[in-house]
Order: sequence, then C-alpha cells, then structure tokens
Amino acid sequence: MKQEAVARAVGQPAVASRPRIQLPYLSFLYVNKNAKWAMVILLPILLITFLAPFLPLQAPLESNIRASLNAPSLEHPFGTDKLGRDVFSRTLSGIKVSLFVGMTVALISLAFGIALGTASGFFGKTVDRVIMGVVDIFLAFPSLLLAIGLVAILGAGTVPVICAISLADVPRFIRLQRSLVLSLKSRPFIDAARTVQAPRLWLMTKHIVPNTIAPLLVAASITAANAILIEASLSFLGLGILPPEPSLGNIIKDGQVYLQQAWWISTLPGAVILLIAISLHFLSDGIREALDPRARK
Amino acid sequence: MLSYAMKRIMQLIVTMFGVVTLVFFAIRMIPGDPAAAMAGDNLSGAALEEFRRKLGLDAPLWEQYADYLLSVIRFDFGSTITTSLPIAGLMLKALPITLMVAGFTMLLAVLIAIPLGTVAAFLANKGKKKLDNAITWTAMIVDLMPAFWTALLLMLFLSLNLKLLPASGAVSFEDPSLMLKRIALPVVVLAVSQVATLARITRTAVLEVLNEDYVRTARSMGMSEMVVVFRHALKNAMLPIITIVGLSFGNLLNGTVIVEFIFSIPGIGTLLVYGINSRDYPLVQNVILFYAFVFVAINFITDMVYKKVDPRVQF
Repeated sequence: MKQEAVARAVGQPAVASRPRIQLPYLSFLYVNKNAKWAMVILLPILLITFLAPFLPLQAPLESNIRASLNAPSLEHPFGTDKLGRDVFSRTLSGIKVSLFVGMTVALISLAFGIALGTASGFFGKTVDRVIMGVVDIFLAFPSLLLAIGLVAILGAGTVPVICAISLADVPRFIRLQRSLVLSLKSRPFIDAARTVQAPRLWLMTKHIVPNTIAPLLVAASITAANAILIEASLSFLGLGILPPEPSLGNIIKDGQVYLQQAWWISTLPGAVILLIAISLHFLSDGIREALDPRARK
Repeated sequence: MLSYAMKRIMQLIVTMFGVVTLVFFAIRMIPGDPAAAMAGDNLSGAALEEFRRKLGLDAPLWEQYADYLLSVIRFDFGSTITTSLPIAGLMLKALPITLMVAGFTMLLAVLIAIPLGTVAAFLANKGKKKLDNAITWTAMIVDLMPAFWTALLLMLFLSLNLKLLPASGAVSFEDPSLMLKRIALPVVVLAVSQVATLARITRTAVLEVLNEDYVRTARSMGMSEMVVVFRHALKNAMLPIITIVGLSFGNLLNGTVIVEFIFSIPGIGTLLVYGINSRDYPLVQNVILFYAFVFVAINFITDMVYKKVDPRVQF
C-alpha cells in the first residue's frame, strides 16, 4: 500500500503489479544493426557447439596416432594435432568452456558490482570510503597480472579461473555503478521521491538501480569478451585450464611447437576466439543503442 | 600543481600500503599449509619445519607482516626458494629488458597511431566514408585479437615463412644490433594492438574538435588543411589521447607477460611464469607487487601530465 502511495505521489503510474525492472525487448536482436551482426556470428557458433555431440566428429580426447598432424580436410575441418586428436572437436569443447567462463564472470561482476557499487554511491561517507579504498587496491594491478597472481594461489582449473577473473573485474563494475549512482542521486526525480519520504530501499531498487541497468549490460557484454580473452591467455601460459581438458588457450599452446609443420592447430582456434570477441562487442554496441535512444544515429 | 601532486602522492602511499597488505595476506590464504604447498611433496617432518623456519613462516603473523613491510621498504625481498638467488637482483636484471620492450612498443604505437587516427578523423570529416570505415573496422578487429594469437601468426609469417626476424632466443645487452632484432617481433606484436586502441581514440577525439569554432576560424584564415588538422585540431584533442596512453600501459604490461613467454625473453613476465610453475611463492608475490608499483607509478605520471596539459582539470 505504502509503495503505491509513493508511486502516485511521485507522479509515476503505480508499477507494483508490473515487473520491477523493465527488461529490454529482445526484438532489438534482429532490429538493431550491430546486434544483428552479433547474432550472425554468435548463433552459428553456439549452434555447432551445442550440436557437437550429434555431429559425426571424433571425441575431443580421442587420439589416433596414425592420423597425426593431418591438414584440414572434410573429415577434420581444423586438422589434427600431434596425437591425432581432432582439433575442430577440441575447439568446440573449448568454446563451451570459454562461453561458460565469459557468462559466469559477467554475471558475478554484475551482481557484486550492483550491490557494492550502489551501496558505495548511495550511502557515501564511511561505506563509500571503505569500499572505494579496497577497489583502489585491486585496481592497482593490471587485470591479467591480478588474475595470474590469484590463479597462482587458487590453483588451476575452471572454477579458480572464474574466481580469479571475477575478482579482477568486480572492482571495475563497482566503480562504474558508483559513478552511475552518484550522477542519478542528484536528479530531480530522486529528490521528488525523497520529499515524499520514500524509504531508502525503495529509492535504490525502484529508481536508481533500474536506471543503471543499460550501461551495466553494455559493460557486462564487454566483460564477457575480456574474460574469454583472459581465460585463453591464462590457459595459454599453462596457468588456467590444464590439458587434457581442452580450452581454446591450451589448444593454441599445444600447437605452438608444431607451428611450422601444422599451422592449423594454433591459428584456427585463435580465429574462433577473435570471432566470439567481435560478436560480443557488436552485442554491447547493440544493447547500448537499443537501451539508450540518444546513442542511436 | 604542487599541492595537487602532494595530495596524489599521499593517496598513492595509502594505496600501495593496501597493495602490500593484500599481497602479504593473499599468499597466506593458500589452502592448507603454505610451507608444505611451496615445498611440494619433497619435504616432510623435521625438514619441513626447517624449511618453515627459513621462510619465517613460524613467527607470529603480525611479526611476519612487519618484517615484510620493512623488506619492501628496503627493497630486499630475500631469495627465491628454488635457486636461492636474491629476488631483488633477479628483478633488477629482468627489468631493463621488459622496460625496453614496453618502451619501444609505446613509442612505435604513438608514432603510428596518432597520425593514423588523425587521418581517419580527417577523412570522416571530409565525407570519405569508405576509407574511414576501412580504417576504423580494421582497428576494431585488430584491437580484439588475442596477443598470443597475433604473436603466433606473425611468427609464422615473418620468421618461419619469410625468415625476416628470429623467432626467439637470448637477449643480452652486449650486442645491441642482435638484441634489437630479437625484440623486434615482440615489439611489433604488442604495438599492433596498442596502435588499434590509440588510433580509435585519436579518431574520435580529433573528430570531436574538428567542428569547433576555432577550427573554422583557422580554416577561414586560409590555413592549409594539414595545418588546421595537425596543429589546431590534434593539439586540442590531446587530453583523451594522453589518458588512453596512460591507461593502456596496463594492457601493455599484461601483453609483455604473454610476449615474453612466447618469445622466451628473460624479462619480468618470464620470471613470474617461472615462479608460478615452480611454486616459488616469494618470487611470485614480489614480482606481482612490483608490477603493481610500476602500474601505479605510471598512472600517477599520467595524471600529472594531464594536469600540466590542462590546468583547468580539478580533482
């Protein structure tokens, strides 16, 4: 009851019965030019990756010494490695890991970024000083180096890698969310809500956070791309996901030794990383244009 | 300016104190017994206790912390576990190599990217959309290429196929021409992505000022287009460019680790990867700390340059 009274008082339609946060309409995925490009690249990759078990491919870990270092052919689209394993099927398996890492890191960064960033910007004073102090300490490290250091402590494997990359990205999100909250805090509609004594929690969840979602989603999409690149870098350095479990980074590492005899092992999976990164950047441009009318040309 | 610098230095000291604290406690967060983790499975019983005493891990935590703070101030990090060489000495030996790679990269990137971005902005302003689009699209794609992949591609084409440059090998300061040849490929790899980032920012920044009144005034006074773009527009577009040059040093440091690893260059990054693989935690801890110092110092210098170029900036 109180919530509806507040909503009426600030001149908004009563929204209690509607979804709290209006999610962007997904139609932008085929209306917006950038988002369309993202889908053109990303959808086929997703489709092949998740249909992999049904395709006539050699299993990612299955080796066949007789077919060692075979060039790309119809049977092995990306060729085979030293042990005769199918690079294409290993790549697909690596994409799954990459996408999982990218998505999880983006979600973790979003969740912690919204919670801590909003608290920091909204409450100010001591809360702000403590949170930003810690954020500044984390931002003193270059991102990949922080992730390397954390992996050194947490150990190799998918979960430690996700934790390490998230810890490097969360501070950036906190800072972004804090600056968004600070710029919203002094806007008239917040003052209006305040004058009718809207509770703080209401202010945060109804007025502030929904208005920060658009820039956060744009950042999340780029964070996913970066997380994929950092995971690949860590695995390439032999610190992330370790063989035999395939990851795009460690497949490329394996191929480095055979660069001259078998160029396909390293180069083709690398091209896939690039395609995924490009599509996620298109997606972030698409989200920006779909959610922020001012960005449309 | 001076009071601002002092204020920033105070902030810097607080942050660095936090960084040292974080690094100190992070190493002690290793699950289980840190001494056992560092020793691997090689030691047990009395030998492990001896090893623990040698690392100072048997002292109370606050005492270890105070010792570590002192050791950082004195720049004396003890010696590595595996080779018992002094860590500070190893880092000082590796540092010039990493700095040289990073420095050459930045120089090359700035020299290529700023003219390139300015030309792209000029073309965009002239309505030559196709050429401008070609430049911006290439820059965007190149910017997203993983450094290790670019490195392998260039290695494949330039050293293995065309045999232009050596793919890897020792770097020493005794033979400058050989050394330059060795670090040429790593520098090119790193510069490629830096050029892409910087060129994009330069283009946006220059494009923004090209429609300002003073640019129109300069044109109306009959100055040639070259003078207008490079002297009047570019100069005023320098602020965002300086910021990005400073920020991209972070990316550059990330990149040096990968490039040093691929081309087996004995820089700080190689030291770090070696440390992790041999579970030499004191080494890892101090190399990471060192990177943070460098990064924070570069950010500080960027801020100072920014303030110098634009005195209006208030923080």
